[in-house]
Amino acid sequence: MRLPVFVGWVCAGVLCAQPVTFERIVNSKAEPQNWLTYWGDYGAQRYRDLKQIDTSNVKNLRVEWIFQTGQSGAFETVPLVVDGIMYFTAANGFAYSVDARSGRQLWQFKYPMPDGVKLCCGTVNRGLAILGDLLFMVTPDAHVLALEARTGRLVWNREMASTDQSYGATLAPLVVKDKVIVGVSGGEFGIRGFVDAYNAKSGERAWRFYTVPAKGEPGGETWLADSWKRGGGATWMTGTYDPKLNLLYWGVGNPGPDLFGEVRKGDNLYTAGLVALDADTGKLKWHFQFTPHDTHDWDGCETPMVLDIKWKGRDRKVLAQANRNAFFYLLDRETGEFLMAKSFARQNWATEIDAKGRPVLSRNADPSPEGNRVCPGLAGAANWMPPSYNPETGWFYFPVREQCDVFFSAPPVYVEGKAYWGSMFRGQTEEKEWGLLKALDPLTGETKWDFRYYKAPWAGTMATSGGLIFSGDEDGYFMAFDAKTGKNLWKINTGNRLVTAPITYTVGGRQYVTMPSGSALLTFALP
Amino acid sequence: MGKTVRKLLLVFIPAALCAQSSFDQGRALFRSNCAFCHGMTATGGRGPNLVSAPLSHGDTDVSIKRVIRIGVPGTTMPAFSEFTDEEVGQVIQYLQSLSKSSLRNENVPGNPQHGQQIYGEKDCSGCHRIGGQGSIFGPELTRIGGARSIEYLRDSIIKPSADVPEGYEGVTVVMKNGKRIRGLRINEDTFSIQLRDPSQQIRMFQKDELIGVTHETESMMPAYDRLSATDLQDLVAYLATLRGAVDSSAAVKKAGGIK
Repeated sequence: MRLPVFVGWVCAGVLCAQPVTFERIVNSKAEPQNWLTYWGDYGAQRYRDLKQIDTSNVKNLRVEWIFQTGQSGAFETVPLVVDGIMYFTAANGFAYSVDARSGRQLWQFKYPMPDGVKLCCGTVNRGLAILGDLLFMVTPDAHVLALEARTGRLVWNREMASTDQSYGATLAPLVVKDKVIVGVSGGEFGIRGFVDAYNAKSGERAWRFYTVPAKGEPGGETWLADSWKRGGGATWMTGTYDPKLNLLYWGVGNPGPDLFGEVRKGDNLYTAGLVALDADTGKLKWHFQFTPHDTHDWDGCETPMVLDIKWKGRDRKVLAQANRNAFFYLLDRETGEFLMAKSFARQNWATEIDAKGRPVLSRNADPSPEGNRVCPGLAGAANWMPPSYNPETGWFYFPVREQCDVFFSAPPVYVEGKAYWGSMFRGQTEEKEWGLLKALDPLTGETKWDFRYYKAPWAGTMATSGGLIFSGDEDGYFMAFDAKTGKNLWKINTGNRLVTAPITYTVGGRQYVTMPSGSALLTFALP
Repeated sequence: MGKTVRKLLLVFIPAALCAQSSFDQGRALFRSNCAFCHGMTATGGRGPNLVSAPLSHGDTDVSIKRVIRIGVPGTTMPAFSEFTDEEVGQVIQYLQSLSKSSLRNENVPGNPQHGQQIYGEKDCSGCHRIGGQGSIFGPELTRIGGARSIEYLRDSIIKPSADVPEGYEGVTVVMKNGKRIRGLRINEDTFSIQLRDPSQQIRMFQKDELIGVTHETESMMPAYDRLSATDLQDLVAYLATLRGAVDSSAAVKKAGGIK
């Protein structure tokens, strides 16, 4: 008997093998069984309407399976789940596909990195993007790859920029329509950052947006002399996207040299800020700079979460970001208009943020030859770890790092391929760091509850309609909290620091929660 | 100005600038990487005096370079393995400019024999260990003379809370029955704590089984601030003689810093 041609589209048993289209990603919340993009949804709310695991039974959560990658280095991936199949990356150029119910491997891919290549930014990788039958990933040496989702076979391989100039890449790509959007790392090495878009099928570059304008371009006047050529502005974290406005929101990293601002006097656009780009053309729609002329490595690369809220009685399309500089920001995402900033952690670098969103600087908060103690420290009060949003509480959940550093400065010499810091920072060993999981009302910036961690965390959060927030701490505890009260309802010591954010999905009606730890991918379920 | 002079100036000015810049680089590297332990003027602190005391591992450029590059096993001196040859050279040049080898023969005032007697009388070995003798409750002192400056040793005796070494922070836990247990923190995380009590028993708790955990700002060591000036000087002189060998099998810490 001849099978009907649409057999591939028919759900057989529990598995449903439809190709992942742009429309499916736009409507990803309508298929909570899957996790179709790095953030789980274009707006990065990281909320799933799944409630099999809830506040009453989460105490029974147990390990269902463990996948051991054997790869050393921070395991920062966020897996994708598509109709029962999980795809994820590990450090050192590895990618995997496994059965999401059993953790059994379907294929493994290893990027054949050329020998002797000098890497600016380690070998960490944060995950994949999918469109149709192709997966996309970046490599430590700043290439973009397309892999066949069914086999892991390499389909195309494009270099974004040369490692000789210290470019690297670590992020999970973002697929929008027929394009793969990616960014680069290397902000400590005098690169000139950019956001790139590649045609998903052919791998041809569709557009490039430089985050550091050249002399003569708009914004070029914010850089002293030719300092823009080494201006930094890495784009090392995945952006978010609003399909209705067709705008990409991409965070921009620190200006270079990081800690010595004298050689790059000016605001140094668009570093330590956020750019809104037309997804089709890469043209700049608007920009906002959180930390003009940053000298503390406070990248603007933290998650720009897309929220629709009632702001002062009016429906407003906003972006919410807990910034590395210790302020929580609300911006109008159509225009970039500054709406609000409120500090959420100890900070001593700004006396206030003015009505236009510009910080009023404190004295003695700049790095100096003798060192100045500044809060937050170089790693920031927030960082790349994704926050989440629960529409039922209306609150924003994110990890907070309470830690200060002493910042030193000295004039650096630029040598291509070498670090371009302008001196260094040092931890305040006399002051103990600590961390918080914070629930914050994004309308006011007020704290609704805090859960205190012993150390400053590096793990993001996830929210579910089961009334739960999942996150992890630096000692390796993976935990579930009551979204309303902040009560810790479940924990497991995973034995390694947690440095990414969890996901949840279902296969055959059963809900799973996945979190990487060490070199193991841990998946949990109710008995 | 004659042509020759101008030519010479053209040669000498860049050379002088270069030397100055190299000195400045050395000072900047020292301040941001080394001063935390060795002090802004390199006269010591938590780490040894590098200007006017003998250097335990030698004071030639080659030996200083080795210490910077590979660290000192079993001590808090980490390995700055990411420094380039040029950077290590700049730090050494800066250090050598602060001191001449002849200066590195610091004369420690006081009578070390009498200091040793004070050490015994005050029962310091009740908490500290020297060459395998004594308790492990407090920091080991076998090579403390080579590891700390004289000022730091003096302060540690009369104001021990001024700087509590890592691994010797005091904590008090309050159990649900009201019982308080004081000890040194061995480990701690969000949900549990492990400590060593003064009888050297290891005590382990889940925090939800406790009423509270207090991190003490004061050192567990009592302040010996009533010693006579002579006794204090002699005790410091004795401690300064303790320059036992380091445990070369111990792990070397790697400097986490970035230049």
